[in-house]
Amino acid sequence: MSLPEWLLLGALGALVFLDAWPVGQTMLSRPIVAGPLAGAVLGAPAEGVFWGAVFEAVYLGVLPVGAARYPDAGLAALVGTVVASRGDAAESAAYLVAVALAAGLLGDWTSAFQRRWNGRVAAGVRGRVAAGDLGAPGRAIAAAVARGALIGAAAAIGSAAVALAGLELVEGTVWAGPAGREALRLAALAAVVVSAGRFFLERRSGRLAWMAGLVVAGGLASWAGGGMGS
Amino acid sequence: MTGVPRSGPGERRMVALRSLFLQAVWNYETLQGVGFAWALLPGLRRLHPDPRKRAERLLAQLELFNSNPYLSTIAMGVVLRLEHEVARGVAGAEVRVGRLVGVLRGTLGALGDELFWAGWRPALGGAAATAALLGGGVWTACAYWLFYNALTQAVRLRGVTAGYASGAGIARVLQDPFWRRAAAATRLGGAAVGGAALALGIALGLSGGGGRGVGIFLGSVALLGLAARPLGSGGRRLSPALAFLALVILLSALTQASAGTSP
Repeated sequence: MSLPEWLLLGALGALVFLDAWPVGQTMLSRPIVAGPLAGAVLGAPAEGVFWGAVFEAVYLGVLPVGAARYPDAGLAALVGTVVASRGDAAESAAYLVAVALAAGLLGDWTSAFQRRWNGRVAAGVRGRVAAGDLGAPGRAIAAAVARGALIGAAAAIGSAAVALAGLELVEGTVWAGPAGREALRLAALAAVVVSAGRFFLERRSGRLAWMAGLVVAGGLASWAGGGMGS
Repeated sequence: MTGVPRSGPGERRMVALRSLFLQAVWNYETLQGVGFAWALLPGLRRLHPDPRKRAERLLAQLELFNSNPYLSTIAMGVVLRLEHEVARGVAGAEVRVGRLVGVLRGTLGALGDELFWAGWRPALGGAAATAALLGGGVWTACAYWLFYNALTQAVRLRGVTAGYASGAGIARVLQDPFWRRAAAATRLGGAAVGGAALALGIALGLSGGGGRGVGIFLGSVALLGLAARPLGSGGRRLSPALAFLALVILLSALTQASAGTSP
C-alpha cells in the first residue's frame, strides 16, 4: 500500500471510531458503509461492498445498548477490506475473517480504554465547573474527540499492517484455503436469516411478516429466473 | 414566563447539533453527563446571565445521564423548559428538573433501544446486506445511510422542540401509541427481511451450484442457528462472529477436500 493509502486508511479509522459511539452515530461506522468507503480508498470498491455486506450480516445482532461492550464492527470491515484489496480474498477467506474479527475485538478494547480515560476527564470537568470555569465541558469534548480520532487511526493502521504481514505466513494452510465467493455469499445470507430470526420472530405478527417476506421474495426470485447473483 | 427570554428556534437547533457530541466523553461514572450538560449550555447562557448561577446549573446537569442518543434531545428540550422556571425562581423547580431527568433517562433509553437499536438498525442492515450480497453495488450503502439518518436525525432535530413544548407534560408524548406502532413496524420489516433472505438464499443456491448451493445455504442456516442457541444452564450464547468464522473454516476445508478429490 502506498503512503497516501495508509494515510487515508488512518483517516477512515478515525472516522469509524468516532462515528461508532462518541460523535453522531450516523452509521458511517457500520460495515455496510465502512466497507465500501475502504474499498473506494484502496481502489477495490467491489471488494468493499462485498466484505462490508458480509460483516454487516455477521454483526447484525450486536446491540450498542448502555454500558455493554461489543466488538468494533466498522474496524473489522476496514481490515477485512484491506486484506481483500491485496489479492484474491476468496483464496484466503478464513484468514481474512479471522483477522477482521480480531480487529473487531481490538476495537472493543480501545473503546473501553477511551471510556476509562473519559472517566478521569469527567471528574476533572466537575471540579473546574464548580470553580466557575464554564468552558471546561467544551474543552473536554474537543480533547476526547481528538484522542478518539488518534486511537481510531492507530488501531486501523496497526491492525491492517499486522493483517497484511500475516498474509504470507498462512499460505498453504486451511486459513488460506479457498472458500469460494458463492459459498461466502450464501453463508453471509444465512447469517442475515439467523439474526433476523433472533430479533423479530418472537411474536405472531413477526412470524406472519417473515412468511410474507419469504413468499414475496420467493415469487420475485422465481419470476426473475436465472438472473440472480450476477 | 415574563422577565426571562424564551428559547428560540436557533437556540434549539444549536442544542440539537451539540447533541451529536452527547457521548464524546462517555464514561463509566456519569455516562453521557458531560455531553448532556454541554449541549444545554446555549440555553443556560440565555436563562442564567449570572455566571455563578449558570455554573451551578451546569454542575447540576453534569450528573449521571444516559439515554438513547437520538431521543436524548427530548430530555434536553424538557430541561430547557424547566430551567425557565428555575430562572424565574419558582419554588421547587430545581428539584423537579432533577427528578424529571431521572425518569426520562430510563424511559427514553428503553424507547430508543426498542425503536432504533433492536428495530430500525438491524432491519435496515439486514435489507442492505441482503441487497449487497445479491449484487447490489455501492448504492446499497448509500441507501442504507440515507434511510437510517432520515429517521434518526429527524427525531434528533425535532426532539428539542418537542421536549420544550411539552415540558413536564412529556409523559403524555411518550405514552403516545405512535412509539409502540413505530417499533412494531420496524420489527415487522425486519421479520420480512429475514423471510426474504431465506427465499433469496435458496434461489441463489439453486442458480449457482444447484443442490450443492442450496445445501451450503441451508447447512449454514442450520449451523449458525444452532450456534445462536443458548448453551447450558447459564444460557450463554456462542458469539455469532466466532460461529461465522468456524463456518468459513469449514467451507474452506470442504472446498480444499473436494478440489483434492477432483480428477
